[in-house]
Amino acid sequence: MSEVTENPRGGCALAGINAVLSAVDRFCPVYHSGPGCCMQTCASEQGQSCGRTASFLSGVSLPSTNMLEKEVVFGGTDKLRTTIQGAMEIIDADAYFVLTGCTAGINGDDIQSVVSEFKNAPKPVYAIDTPGFAGNDMLGYESVIDTFIDKIMVKGPRQQNLVNLFGIVPYHDPYWSGTLEEFTRILRALGLEVNTFFTEHQGIDAVKRAGSAALNIIIHPWLLRGAEKKLSGQFGIPTLRIEGMPVGATDTTAFVRQVGEALSLDSGKVESVVRKEEEYVYDYFEQAIGKLSWKRFAVVSDSNYAVGFTRFLANDYSFTPLLTIVSEPLFRDKDKDAVRKRITNLEYARAPEVYFASDQYDIEKLLAKNDEITLLIGSTNEREIGSRKGCQCSVLSYPVTDKLVFNRTYGGYRGCLTLVEDLYDDL
Amino acid sequence: MEQGMPETYSGIRERRPETYNDLGGSSEELAYSFEKKCLKAADRTFAQGLQCQEINSMAALMSLDDAVFIAHSPQGCVGCTVMAVDMYRVGQAHRGVKYIRNPHIIVTNLDSDDIVFGGGKKLVRAIHQAEERYAPKLIFIYASCASGMIGDDLDGIVENEQANSKAILVPVHCEGFKSKICASGFDSAFISISKYILKDRHVPKIPGLVNLFAPTTVSYKDQLEMERMLGQLGLTVNYIPFYGSLESILKIPAASASTSICKVFADEFMIELKRKYGIPYSHTVMPIGVRNTDAWFRGIAKVAGKEKEAEEIIAREHERILPLVARIRKRLEGKRVFICGGTGRSFAAAALIDDFGMKLVGLETPTYNQDAQTDIEYLNGIHKDFVVDVANMEPFEQVNIVNRLKPDVFIGVPEWSARFGIPTTHVLDGKRPTMGYDGLLYLGNKMADQIENPGFNVKLAAHARLPYRESWYSEDPFKYIKAAGENTCRK
Repeated sequence: MSEVTENPRGGCALAGINAVLSAVDRFCPVYHSGPGCCMQTCASEQGQSCGRTASFLSGVSLPSTNMLEKEVVFGGTDKLRTTIQGAMEIIDADAYFVLTGCTAGINGDDIQSVVSEFKNAPKPVYAIDTPGFAGNDMLGYESVIDTFIDKIMVKGPRQQNLVNLFGIVPYHDPYWSGTLEEFTRILRALGLEVNTFFTEHQGIDAVKRAGSAALNIIIHPWLLRGAEKKLSGQFGIPTLRIEGMPVGATDTTAFVRQVGEALSLDSGKVESVVRKEEEYVYDYFEQAIGKLSWKRFAVVSDSNYAVGFTRFLANDYSFTPLLTIVSEPLFRDKDKDAVRKRITNLEYARAPEVYFASDQYDIEKLLAKNDEITLLIGSTNEREIGSRKGCQCSVLSYPVTDKLVFNRTYGGYRGCLTLVEDLYDDL
Repeated sequence: MEQGMPETYSGIRERRPETYNDLGGSSEELAYSFEKKCLKAADRTFAQGLQCQEINSMAALMSLDDAVFIAHSPQGCVGCTVMAVDMYRVGQAHRGVKYIRNPHIIVTNLDSDDIVFGGGKKLVRAIHQAEERYAPKLIFIYASCASGMIGDDLDGIVENEQANSKAILVPVHCEGFKSKICASGFDSAFISISKYILKDRHVPKIPGLVNLFAPTTVSYKDQLEMERMLGQLGLTVNYIPFYGSLESILKIPAASASTSICKVFADEFMIELKRKYGIPYSHTVMPIGVRNTDAWFRGIAKVAGKEKEAEEIIAREHERILPLVARIRKRLEGKRVFICGGTGRSFAAAALIDDFGMKLVGLETPTYNQDAQTDIEYLNGIHKDFVVDVANMEPFEQVNIVNRLKPDVFIGVPEWSARFGIPTTHVLDGKRPTMGYDGLLYLGNKMADQIENPGFNVKLAAHARLPYRESWYSEDPFKYIKAAGENTCRK
């Protein structure tokens, strides 16, 4: 299913799995893989995600069996056993996850049975047997959430004000922490508690607690369709899917109202939150009217932000959308349709052309033939074509290697102010 | 195998004689054991991640002009190109390039089906794509763990495709699982350059031309400094392969001498160039610090027949530099240092601190062999006993040792030691100066400034959390290194 790709954005399944796990407080991945996988996977995710790396364990800190010819040929389960043992002795984690690289995926080492030897260990050890070649990082994210659902979540009494927030993928979304913080802030204003798993050191307790939530909110057009079914079937938790990152007042207000409706919240309370938040945004907009010159724009981004950036700039900021390129591979037509619909179903603006292309050559060809673009929103990979076209090029989409971001977000109400700040170039 | 060639170097560094990668202890103990040939092969029963050789093979070549790079691998194996690509882009900016280019990296994206049925067809498609899109002069094809294990025949595919290809196809056998020493990847790259590009090509000599082999981590400022120094000897530089091209590779045999900026970069290749083309080479040290810069410069001057000129220049440079070094020395003298780096940089940095009168208390370096022995003996002469950890990072060992030694300054990747509140500084900086006489001043000032103003790390330490158990810090740092036999001749 995977295509030959020039300059792919993000890593393999293993990279995605590790990126997600390492964003959870005190989770310890243990690699059963070749010697380079720790660095390769971290470089492809964290290394392209605005300069931050996981502070608990990342890169060469990750425990690894570093399989060489001997383990590849004769099996590496002995090495895996001592590596898990050592990891538990040395690293003070709440849970350990054994992951497989291509080497272990191909030579058939039985990691499940090695892991089962540790079932009486003081801290849990889980196997996620999805080797690198199984797919890309998005599959990795889904594998982790599946593991959470299958092995860690506890079905408890329903907690009416607790929601699980999914779909914002650590590192593949460079703004994940700021964005989770913004949506947490908004949802708390509605009186809700939020499991983000990744912020505020939530860790394993949040994962366990997720089984008691009243609602799953998936902010993503297509991820976790399988998980959605399991959560409904095994835990009886319904899901509200938001098909693309809400950026700015219009889409965030729609989000707030959908959440209110799904949980039957008091509509007076919902509307008072909406009023207050919108006022906050427009108070600032009023202070910089006409500061940004009119732009005809193109967006190159993964589906979540392709939707978010295009809709905000077209609907709320009156820029002219020309071209939106969704840069992650989508394998199902219904996913493509959902994304296309969100991008083209605009309030006033004429819909942009929408393309699905993950190959750098194809992306550049599409951009090159449109000579009306005055603003290009893309990744660091688009700087070259941007400079050749001579238009404004704002690097906002993953992968980003030339910026450092801590808690910046473009999502929610406040994120749109940051977006407009970052698009201002005074040229 | 070529006629008259005794044997072909395999490209796997650990197969070279007396090479150890899992080792730890006191410097005097290790030097003694090595000398008496008592060291045993060992392995770590617990380890953290390493760098694979494929990373080095890719990084070494990524800045070549008119080239396409194909990774015959799943999507993840081009992860680390991120660093080389960033270096390439920033390097272009430093060189004043207006339209900064992306390197063209194509991944065949091996998936579960390909693992079962073979990925050859995808590789052929990738080669065709590279040709159609860019008509490059060179197409490098990198093997991966997956392609190696499923047995895709890279050489066979290349042979077939070469007949219809305008580009030179260069397979690089850099499967990650073949070596735990990432520098092996440099060798794999050079072995392929020799076999597929240079072949037996002989070209007319260009008088005064020197091959200067440089890895991707050398900054533009450092390149200029090297070229300035060699220019003073009347030599012109074929700077390679960083920011090189097919043309500059083809010029390699025309040179009258070769040298390298890094000890583990192109060292085997220079031996081969001597054997094949009679090009003498100098293999000394990385030119960091006065002593190393002198040694590096004398080395290349000697093979170029410019010893007298070199001495005059060194004297002149010393006259200019040493008073400035003395000023920095006043700020650094007596400070206790822990150094962690790659093979080239760790020992170079250890020599550097002599210039500033600092004291070495610990050294982490990836490989122990005869070269390392020479350096360790030299350092033992100055610093007496210090702790040596033969490891490619292994941060768990590093934090254990650093926490015991409590050095005044840590030189290397700052990520972990900074969280103890220790001032940290780095000698691996591919974007700023580190080398030659001028680089020394930059490094010295950087170190002194950071020691004098440690506020960030001190305050960080009050809040930072390392992932290790408290109990680990009182354990033997080398606890997980298991040797194949007892070292019978302890000093």
